[in-house]
Amino acid sequence: MTRPRPALTGWAFLAPYAIAVALLVAVPALLNVGYAFTDHTGLTRDPQFVGLANVRRMLDDRFLLDSLQASLFHVSLAVPVRFVAAVGLGLLLAAPRPGGRWFRTAVYLPTVIPDVALAVLFLWVLNPLYGPLNQLLGLFGHAGYNWLADPTTARIGVVLMLAFPIGEGFVVVLAARRLLDGRLYEAAALEGCGPFGQLRRLTLPLLAPVLVLLAVRDIILTLQVNFVPAYVLTDGRPANATLYLPVYIFDQVFEFSGFAYGSLVTILLMLITAVIITGLLLLVRRWRVLR
Amino acid sequence: MKGVIRLAALTRSYGTTTAVDGVDLEVRAGELITLVGPSGSGKSTILRLIAGLDRPDSGRILVDDVDVARMPAHRRAVAMVFQDYALFPHLTVLGNLTFGLRVRKVRRAEADQRARIAAQRLGIGDLLDRYPDQMSGGQRQRVALARALLRDPSVYLLDEPLASLDAPLRFATRADLLALHRELRTTTIHVTHDQHEAMTLGDRVVVLAAGQIRQVGPPQQVYDAPADTFVAGFLGSPPMNLVPGGGVLGGDATLTLGVRPEDLTLDDAGRIAATVEAVEALGSEAILLTRCPDGTRLTVRTGPRPGVGPGDEVRLRADRLHRFDAATGRRR
Amino acid sequence: MTGGEPIHRFGAACVVRRLWTGGGAVVGRWLGRYVVPALFAALFVAPLWFMLVGSLRPTGAPPPRTLELWPAEPTTAAYTRLPELVPLLRYLANSALVVALAVPVTVLVASLTGFGLRLLSGAARRRALLGLLVVLLVPVTAVWATRFEVFRLAGAVDTYLPLLAPAALAVSPFLVLLYAWSFGGVPDSQLQAARLEGAGWLTIWRRLALPQVKPATLAVAVLAFTFHWSNFIDPLLYLTSGDRYTWPLGLRFLLLLNPTDWPLLMAGSVIATAPCVLVFLFAQRILLADDPLAALRSKGRR
Ligand SMILES: Nc1ncnc2c1ncn2[C@@H]1O[C@H](COP(=O)(O)OP(=O)(O)O)[C@@H](O)[C@H]1O
Ligand SMILES: [Mg+2]
Repeated sequence: MTRPRPALTGWAFLAPYAIAVALLVAVPALLNVGYAFTDHTGLTRDPQFVGLANVRRMLDDRFLLDSLQASLFHVSLAVPVRFVAAVGLGLLLAAPRPGGRWFRTAVYLPTVIPDVALAVLFLWVLNPLYGPLNQLLGLFGHAGYNWLADPTTARIGVVLMLAFPIGEGFVVVLAARRLLDGRLYEAAALEGCGPFGQLRRLTLPLLAPVLVLLAVRDIILTLQVNFVPAYVLTDGRPANATLYLPVYIFDQVFEFSGFAYGSLVTILLMLITAVIITGLLLLVRRWRVLR
Repeated sequence: MKGVIRLAALTRSYGTTTAVDGVDLEVRAGELITLVGPSGSGKSTILRLIAGLDRPDSGRILVDDVDVARMPAHRRAVAMVFQDYALFPHLTVLGNLTFGLRVRKVRRAEADQRARIAAQRLGIGDLLDRYPDQMSGGQRQRVALARALLRDPSVYLLDEPLASLDAPLRFATRADLLALHRELRTTTIHVTHDQHEAMTLGDRVVVLAAGQIRQVGPPQQVYDAPADTFVAGFLGSPPMNLVPGGGVLGGDATLTLGVRPEDLTLDDAGRIAATVEAVEALGSEAILLTRCPDGTRLTVRTGPRPGVGPGDEVRLRADRLHRFDAATGRRR
Repeated sequence: MTGGEPIHRFGAACVVRRLWTGGGAVVGRWLGRYVVPALFAALFVAPLWFMLVGSLRPTGAPPPRTLELWPAEPTTAAYTRLPELVPLLRYLANSALVVALAVPVTVLVASLTGFGLRLLSGAARRRALLGLLVVLLVPVTAVWATRFEVFRLAGAVDTYLPLLAPAALAVSPFLVLLYAWSFGGVPDSQLQAARLEGAGWLTIWRRLALPQVKPATLAVAVLAFTFHWSNFIDPLLYLTSGDRYTWPLGLRFLLLLNPTDWPLLMAGSVIATAPCVLVFLFAQRILLADDPLAALRSKGRR
């Protein structure tokens, strides 16, 4: 007997997207694995299989070690900063109030700055002589830093820049907060629960699944995608301090004709991402937030 | 005359729930028939199956002796009024009424003309430029009806069309629906979970429970001779008193005896002794909640001001007993 | 879920805090509702402000050594000098062309996919959502090199075709979810009523579902615009001839040419940013409303 149609129709509407995902994501992702074991340079058409040669090269690649270090430092600082900013501001600004939309708009605006413009802007903001940041520090009697010249401050400068475009997470928190039942808060207030008690005992536990998803998404963004402004801002300098893995991959694949090696590093990057996310999920599983 | 519907062994399950379970039913041409049952008993599913919005797992649907199993919904010459009316909120009343005509490529001028006539007929001719959220519940219901009229179908399917109206409006609209049906004489299947509607609207009533038909017949006949204990308990308010084993009503252990509240009378010569526990005065009548010495509770309908109060000892007389099989619940 | 804790347990822990905050409640409320948000708002607008102020300085003159909130002699000299140094109008026209192609494709794919999700029910929808979540977690870096290889072998390098790849993926699953959620406000009975009237699924999508989620379409179009207008990495990888560059590439080009001409660079950044800000100001009404979920669905008539 014929089954109802709607299900089939639903899948049919998903087809264009599914085809795009297959062609533009799945196939390239699989090709990555294949190319990682060849000598492909990205310039020719006949890659040869070279077995584990690329893996051996990876094992004593000092640049890769620098790159790993830079990436891990970056993630462990940028993710918490961005997460706290997005969640904190989302919860602070969620409640309706006159002009509330304009506060939210202000927080979102840096997110719409194009990546290159953001990098160019921060080249200026972090300029040691004339940059607004050092001048702001000057108002408090601090001499300021030579931000992009020193490895540590350069890394911090990149994190500082990436602390501004947090709009996506911010909007998700705003929406998720609106979905919580107002009566819960009335009940808690009747018990004499103040704003901090409500935050700790109601809001955060109820939002936990959304927050975990946000954190996971941000780890991926930070490790792999947000590299564009960093690439324009510092391009790996100084002393490989900001040679984040994507920057290294980009250099290998598109600058140094190391296509196959870049593919292998890509796989490494995926593995690292997976490990960090698995660790995070294991950690939160103990808190039983994901049902 | 067109509009004969025959359902044969119609079955539809969703996962583990069988929403419609082997339903056999014949609806005559021009008849107004009411499907009644508690919510979740499969009434809407039957309508959707007839309309072609859903497919049966097994069984057949014949409209004018044509098997419509493979016919798409819009070719089936049925019109449906949904419980929430399903008006398109982004279109005006006129847009709602002409939506189907325009989809079927009727010219705009003609579509508008036909929509106007249908709207006039239902008394919403001056609302054509309103949006659904600018109208009252009753007006929206009329738009939904007008949209169904425009289909000029051989069968109307009305899914709880009165359920979201408030009480006085429901009363008035019920009469309008009846008048409309009398005028059109088109086969109509009307679904409700309200037993008042089931009793007053429709030539015949079909009582459903858990996807199965329990009884079919003219409303009064079903009321007077319910086919089983479920129908007995479902139709009538307050429901029939059912006493397993007969108890105070007399009888034997293989029977369940039933008596309607209005068939119990306060009578000093009555055989049944009971204590009044509460009196619900409803204005035009009163309901006595009583308890017999063996614990059986009996509900009694009396005229207003029965002259007894809680704690009073009374005697009751039972007329018109209904006898059901204690094991199967079927009428005997 | 974790909601098992009885409500009265709140009491013990909260009463103390209540007493403590009771007195300054009004001041505290005012601080929390306006003062602190205003400070954060100022912090987040500050970079944009410095960008604008920086672009209005006279070129050549050494920048001041103190914090300057408004230039002493604001001038638009940097803006007039820009087209003399780089083919500004050509780059902007290229950007506009890319956006004009990519935004409609993005909206189309996102709305079709979102509608498909809306039509699925129960287990099928959960499976599709899970797939979408997996896509959400796949980073572009993972497919950079090999996607480039695919386009190279297809001979599409140095055309605008690869720039439409993100559009075919609806830019981000986030936009698909936005549509799926908005379409969720259209009840089944409306779809069925339209089916009964003989409307096909594409007609239902176009004439029934889309008109009811116009705010969502606006929001998606705006987010798509900001993405494609800003897109740097794809043009960087795929565009090789200078006369096909989009403005973000032009800005980088400008940076390489004049790494210290700050008014000029800031003017270039303002030109890159302004369209996104303007367009976003249309969408903030929806995305950042007090109740964004309701605003997305608000029936969209008129
Ligand atoms: N599309 C569906 N998916 C899953 N279960 C359904 C669906 N439609 C109806 N059901 C189930 O079938 C049963 C009958 O539903 P319905 O016909 O709507 O009942 P009624 O209209 O009498 O209230 C219910 O248990 C309901 O949960
Ligand atoms: Mg129903």
